Amino acid sequence: MNHFLDVFQSRQTMLWEKVWEHLQISIISLLIAVVVAVPLGIALTRSKRLAEPIIGITAVLQTIPSLAVLAFLIPFLGIGRQPAIVALIAYGLLPILRNTYTGIKEVDPALKEAATGMGMNTFRRLSKVELPLAMPVIMAGIRTSMVLIVGTTTIAALIGAGGLGELILLGIDRGGEINLILLGAIPAALLAVILDFILRIVERASVKAGFRSLAAVLLAAILIIVGPFLANTQQQTDLVIGGKLNAEPSILINMYKILIEEETDLNVELEEGLGKTAFVFSALQEGSIDIYPEFTGTAIVTHLEEQAESNDAREVYEQAKEGMLERYDMAFLEPMAYNNTYTLATTREFAEGNDLQTISDLKSIDDEITAGFTLEFNDREDGYQGIRELYGIEFGEVRTMEPGIRQGAIEDGQVDLIDAYSTDSYMVELDLIALEDDKNLFPPYQGAPLMRQETLDRYPELEDILNQLAGKITDEQMREMNYQVDYEEKSYEEVARNYLQDEGLID
Amino acid sequence: MIQFDNVSKIYPDGTTAVEKLNLTVEEGELLTLIGPSGCGKTTTMKMINRLIEPSTGTISIHNKNISDYNIHELRWNIGYVLQEIALFPHLTIEENIMIVPEMKKWGKQEIRHRVDELMEMVGLDPDNFKKRRPHELSGGQQQRVGVLRALAADPDILLMDEPFSALDPITREQLQSDIRSLQKEIKKTIVFVTHDIDEAMALGDRVCLMKNGEIVQVDKPQKLILEPRTDFVRNFIGEKKSPWQTAVDVIMDQSKTRMISRLQYERKNFNPNGVYIIVDEENQYIGTYKDGQKMEHPELPNDMQLVQTTEIFLRNEIDILPVVQDNRVIGTLSYGDIVHYLDSKTKVENGVIHQ
Repeated sequence: MNHFLDVFQSRQTMLWEKVWEHLQISIISLLIAVVVAVPLGIALTRSKRLAEPIIGITAVLQTIPSLAVLAFLIPFLGIGRQPAIVALIAYGLLPILRNTYTGIKEVDPALKEAATGMGMNTFRRLSKVELPLAMPVIMAGIRTSMVLIVGTTTIAALIGAGGLGELILLGIDRGGEINLILLGAIPAALLAVILDFILRIVERASVKAGFRSLAAVLLAAILIIVGPFLANTQQQTDLVIGGKLNAEPSILINMYKILIEEETDLNVELEEGLGKTAFVFSALQEGSIDIYPEFTGTAIVTHLEEQAESNDAREVYEQAKEGMLERYDMAFLEPMAYNNTYTLATTREFAEGNDLQTISDLKSIDDEITAGFTLEFNDREDGYQGIRELYGIEFGEVRTMEPGIRQGAIEDGQVDLIDAYSTDSYMVELDLIALEDDKNLFPPYQGAPLMRQETLDRYPELEDILNQLAGKITDEQMREMNYQVDYEEKSYEEVARNYLQDEGLID
Repeated sequence: MIQFDNVSKIYPDGTTAVEKLNLTVEEGELLTLIGPSGCGKTTTMKMINRLIEPSTGTISIHNKNISDYNIHELRWNIGYVLQEIALFPHLTIEENIMIVPEMKKWGKQEIRHRVDELMEMVGLDPDNFKKRRPHELSGGQQQRVGVLRALAADPDILLMDEPFSALDPITREQLQSDIRSLQKEIKKTIVFVTHDIDEAMALGDRVCLMKNGEIVQVDKPQKLILEPRTDFVRNFIGEKKSPWQTAVDVIMDQSKTRMISRLQYERKNFNPNGVYIIVDEENQYIGTYKDGQKMEHPELPNDMQLVQTTEIFLRNEIDILPVVQDNRVIGTLSYGDIVHYLDSKTKVENGVIHQ
């Protein structure tokens, strides 16, 4: 509890900022969903033949997992808020649409007849009789949507939309740091409760004060949305640098930013913590971001769908560089020194107890081992699939989990073995042993800036600036920097700046 | 005046609701539409405000085809009272009544004044009831408001669709007598649908009896009783009716043998041993002559039920009373008339009394 309060204290500014973002995204999405769904629901009551299919379509929209919707939208809308809002709208549509339709359809036919018989035209009947009577049902739909949207907004953090989900993701990434997760989850839940409460008051007031109360809420909502845009006139940004979710890419892109802004007049914006490889790569293709650090190994295996032709770091880089240029018209600048390859890691105790030094040593006891792998590793040719083929190893049980949870799982003894990156800070913290890849399955994973060729053509100076890091940063240094962020709570920027100063790259 | 000219309504599924209907509802008349369910009475009524469009034939109001009117303006001039009462539950009593005047763009002051006036007319204190919502009122009060809502913009025509059928018998009777006295005041053209023959007979200036989409007989209530055109009419009217519920104008003596004029009275031109009702030149009741004296007794309204007269007879210790309609004496009712009527309506078979 005390620790939670500490985390709360130290992250307070960030928390409020995230709450605000969360509120903004949720309310924009909800408002648009209302603006779309209520008139549509009303229209459907006039054309019953269309009603079932259209409500069916929105129901299907809702059954698609939110993560899938987000991933699907990246090629069209990129990353950030827009795709998140579009996905959230799709999510919020159904309850409002269905309740508007049902609410209006189920107004007592005698009342509709009375209204018609008294000479009301369609619009007057709608505004004076049907809508007010259907209001409690419609509001119930809006409230359901609101809870749904506020909850789902946490996932939008994966594509850089911001919000409280960032705190949760950060918590998961820090090895399931429960206090950070709570710091994101509790305010998200509170937001839902508070908004629900406000909407309930609006609902009650709308019975008495009619549409005036609705208008008031609408105005307040618009102020929340527009306020920040009025407050800060944003600087023009020339370059957006993205990074996957983790300490390491976040530190690297801070170095890029510092170096670029030091030597040019370009304005650089950072999109940290962009989730999975696929998200970041499609964001780069689509143009939402201009640069992100990618691993040579990943470029070959994931993006080019090839096998590494060699295990020599330089040759792997050359293969990746040519491939990326040819296939995607992308420039892959010089890699840094460290090799953050995959490795299988286990506790010192387990390794010594079973006399394990290499991956081959696992074969004799493979059916007794419970492995904890990331989804990505489990599916990769240079991951578990490759281990099965090359080493002929089939583990007794494989549990797939988020990267950040693996270290917790091995610490608690829930799994015996995990996939790890050689520069991960918890290797030090938990005293894990990396088993030697004696059959050279894993290609070298060296980090290097990846960008579209057109970006490099426009800013050719970037090549020299970013290549200052080429061959720099050893495994040891990288691990140390990760450790400073993950365990010593230093900011990415501070760590990045310290390194660059130590190396004499900046003053 | 509402005129149906060869009006038929055939639904797409082939059912004929109304067939070749010819009917005229006179200005200021209360016409009750009655018949077994499915006879087309409701369809007939709803065609007047175009809630249902006729398949063939024309309906005219004031000699103008109703489809030539703007449909909304047409409806503003036709008050509509529903069986389900159907006050809008989210609006106050006042707001419910205001609806049509608002649509007709009356001034605010005028509307407020009208609401008060109407509410007072049916005995609902405006200050007490105006701001309440329908659910706070009893069923009878609600339907009173329902009638006011229909009357609010002073329409020429009032359509009432079984308006009292959802109410309990006591309330129903109250509202029936309310509508009777109201009609005396406002003189609207009213089409009143009901399935209750007593209600139809008691309220209607004329009763239109329908069956299978056709009119069987349209006539004054007493004519329907005295001169039923078919056995169906006789049975339908006779079905549930106790002779005690008959209106006095059906039973009364219309021969005027018990009536004398003011002139005759003043000239003593009559048999002084009898009892007589004295009327003036306008046929208005002046008094009753008995035992050489002139006395005044209550008048019996023409639509009063027989059962209600007995108490008046007993209280006044008199055996003859005048029956009036619109302030004019139209006949007399005596103990003898009552006994004859009851006798004619009662058969005794094997010791069991049938009515």
